[in-house]
Amino acid sequence: MPRLSNGLLRHAYTINPLLAPLLRSCRDLTSAQNELRWLREHVKLTQTSLNKSHGSLLRRFVCERASGKPLQYILGTEYFGDLEIQCRPGVLIPRQDTAASVTHLVHLLRRAEGLPSELRVLDLCTGTGCIPLLFRHQFEKARREDVRLRLLGVDVSEKAVRLAHHNLKCVFQEHGYRDSKAVIEFMMGDVLIDPCGDQTFDPPSFKAVMDFLRKPQFWNILISNPPYISPSAYWKTTTRSVRGFEPKLALVPPAREEKPGTEQGDTFYPRLLEIAYDVEAEIVLFEVADLDQALRVARMARDIKIFDGIEIWRDQPDQNDEDDPSPHCEFKVTGQGNGRSVLCWRGRGSKWLGKGGAKHITSDRSPIRNAFFATYKF
Amino acid sequence: MPPTPWVCRTCLLRIGKPALRQFFRFQSTSSTPESIPPALLSRARKIADEHKELTQKLANGFDTRAAKILGEYSPIVNALKEWDKANEVSRIRDPAVALSVPYLNTRAEGHIKSLTELTSLIHDHTTDPELLALASDDLGLTRTLLANASQRLTTSVVPVHPFAHLPCLIEIRPGAGGSEAAIFAGDLLRMYQAFCNRNNFRSTLLKYENADGTSEAGVPLSEAVLEIDSENAYGVFRCEAGVHRVQRVPATESKGRTHTSAASVLVLPSLQESALGEEDFENPESDYYVDPKEVRVEIMRARGAGGQHVNTTDSAVRLTHIPTNTVVSIQDSRSQPKNKEKAWRLLRSRLAQARREKREEEAVAMRRSVVGVAKMGRGDKVRTYNWNQQRVTDHRSGTTVHDLDDVMEGGETLDRVMESVRSWLMERDVEALIAEEEADEKKK
Ligand SMILES: C[S@@+](CC[C@H](N)C(=O)[O-])C[C@H]1O[C@@H](n2cnc3c(N)ncnc32)[C@H](O)[C@@H]1O
Repeated sequence: MPRLSNGLLRHAYTINPLLAPLLRSCRDLTSAQNELRWLREHVKLTQTSLNKSHGSLLRRFVCERASGKPLQYILGTEYFGDLEIQCRPGVLIPRQDTAASVTHLVHLLRRAEGLPSELRVLDLCTGTGCIPLLFRHQFEKARREDVRLRLLGVDVSEKAVRLAHHNLKCVFQEHGYRDSKAVIEFMMGDVLIDPCGDQTFDPPSFKAVMDFLRKPQFWNILISNPPYISPSAYWKTTTRSVRGFEPKLALVPPAREEKPGTEQGDTFYPRLLEIAYDVEAEIVLFEVADLDQALRVARMARDIKIFDGIEIWRDQPDQNDEDDPSPHCEFKVTGQGNGRSVLCWRGRGSKWLGKGGAKHITSDRSPIRNAFFATYKF
Repeated sequence: MPPTPWVCRTCLLRIGKPALRQFFRFQSTSSTPESIPPALLSRARKIADEHKELTQKLANGFDTRAAKILGEYSPIVNALKEWDKANEVSRIRDPAVALSVPYLNTRAEGHIKSLTELTSLIHDHTTDPELLALASDDLGLTRTLLANASQRLTTSVVPVHPFAHLPCLIEIRPGAGGSEAAIFAGDLLRMYQAFCNRNNFRSTLLKYENADGTSEAGVPLSEAVLEIDSENAYGVFRCEAGVHRVQRVPATESKGRTHTSAASVLVLPSLQESALGEEDFENPESDYYVDPKEVRVEIMRARGAGGQHVNTTDSAVRLTHIPTNTVVSIQDSRSQPKNKEKAWRLLRSRLAQARREKREEEAVAMRRSVVGVAKMGRGDKVRTYNWNQQRVTDHRSGTTVHDLDDVMEGGETLDRVMESVRSWLMERDVEALIAEEEADEKKK
């Protein structure tokens, strides 16, 4: 990380002494000024229950922030689209990029014709529960009387599932959703464990829980923002604040010694695709680290031959396409920013997304598909 | 043309002359709810005369054009009649008149004098008690009657500004004068906030930027946008647009010298969907229309890899209207969608205002060739706040008040100043109307 210039630090100090330490974490003056303002507002709101003076509480927060603690953990929330989501150490802070993809997906679906009367959305690796909550929030804006939402979020971490339940309550209190018939649930489950293998793990495999709790077998939409950072990128690309304060469980997939050749960052995707296949998902949206991983995931999705279409979204999929699309790309890449997610669709999903021209591919397992899953067997 | 000489036109032609200016100023400053600017009154009289002529014409045979004009004029004529009546009443009921105290007054100024007279009778200790009771009784009645009539006459004659009914945005920025100007900009913001509180206008900060995130006095402000979310707010605050000048010894000045600095105030219509019909946003002909394709949206993206790699708090949004290169950026809220929504609102308002101003400028250019009415653009100095003398002077209406503190606290003294400017503006509007009509007549 480049050192901050002394000139900048001195300048910040003369405006307000508290800005200089904040610069250590914010890197630029405007962000430091914004954060100082938000911290101050937060102190004003929380002051009543504390006997410390305003100033010393603010100084403590600034110190914590300067040490790299994410502002979101200090303030206790982060905005995810329109929603204020509660954040706690131990659970990953929701990212704006994720909100942008989810919002764009719902935007495409809001006017879709032929949606089932119960639209089922599965979110694997749900963390704070932000994705199902935002999906509902955006979808309710369309006021569709013909569709009832059923959303299910799954996470391996107990802390995460607890927080997701808490968020469900908070968001409901804030927004009410008076006429909404949507159902949102969260449960614990491990996405990676092979459902046919040994079941002594705690928590049990996602599939086992689904069966045990008699959750629906089929889901229309599968969304996931799984851990996707490779161990090397973890040290090179993540910021000090992410490494030092956010759970590694949420960021880096576990190592798979039996398959040393494949990228460790990709661990979740074959398993997620298999689940997509099992639940007969008609739309699939996965978040990824960058354009390279997007391409690898898109190829995996293509290789199982169940989808009618696959495309890659950048950070802001709703913006005009970047002027310079990467030349080597065999998939359509839309929007602006880093490669951020992979969208797959098939059957009715094509129509819902307005992709038209659905090719009809038989839905039973072809030999190629079996071979594909065998390669990635756990 | 009406046979009666049209007093006000001659006034207008000589408007640049100092003596006349003085007269106009006096009229404006004495502005009370009952009074009517002279220009407006003469215009109403002119219309009444034309109305009479047309009625006669119509009596001799039908004329569709005349009938149509007649229809448009009749509310004005009725309002004028009512006003004249109220005015008459105020004089007859005036106990001074009743007691045959002789004094002169012209018809136009009569009501003001009689009201003044009534008031002074009441305040005069020598007034006999019987007369006093009579006078105070009458004062109330006379006032309401006249106020209602004046209101109706005014609204029937003065063209209503197309944005007047809308809520508004007030943008405040420091002008010349370094950090003292920025501190004064903050003072103005607090002045308007206090004014809103006192008058029950709902106001919220749409954008607030200063050096360190506090909103206490004495901290330099770099830019603020105050949204006043009440109907007619644009009509009330329109008079505040322009350069506000401050003369005082800055807190930072060690030698005790007085500095002159300035802050600029822009007043824009606030275009919330609730205040306008949907069609206004989607109709390309409308002032409020913005083609989304012409707007570049920039979101502060995390530097570098983004996604799970970073947990930045950047939520800034910048919109650029490409054809006019209008740039709006907002970073107040931690929520990006909220910032985006605010930015769109501000962009819409700025563009609508710019379009409106352009059209007004064209109209002014035409008018100026006829009468030379001074233009009040956004660059003009409109008001001076002088700390040493504890006074505030508005350079348009010519009003000076001496309770500077009350003005800065958004008190009633500020009401008075703003009212004087509004009636000044109203006169300008009427003049403009008259000038336009003259130009039309010349063309014929
Ligand atoms: C990158 S976070 C995403 C959280 C949330 N969806 C979001 O977008 O903010 C990944 C989540 O996956 C969970 N996770 C990690 N391993 C898992 C597994 N084997 N099965 C299910 N969830 C897992 C972590 O607890 C973490 O909450």
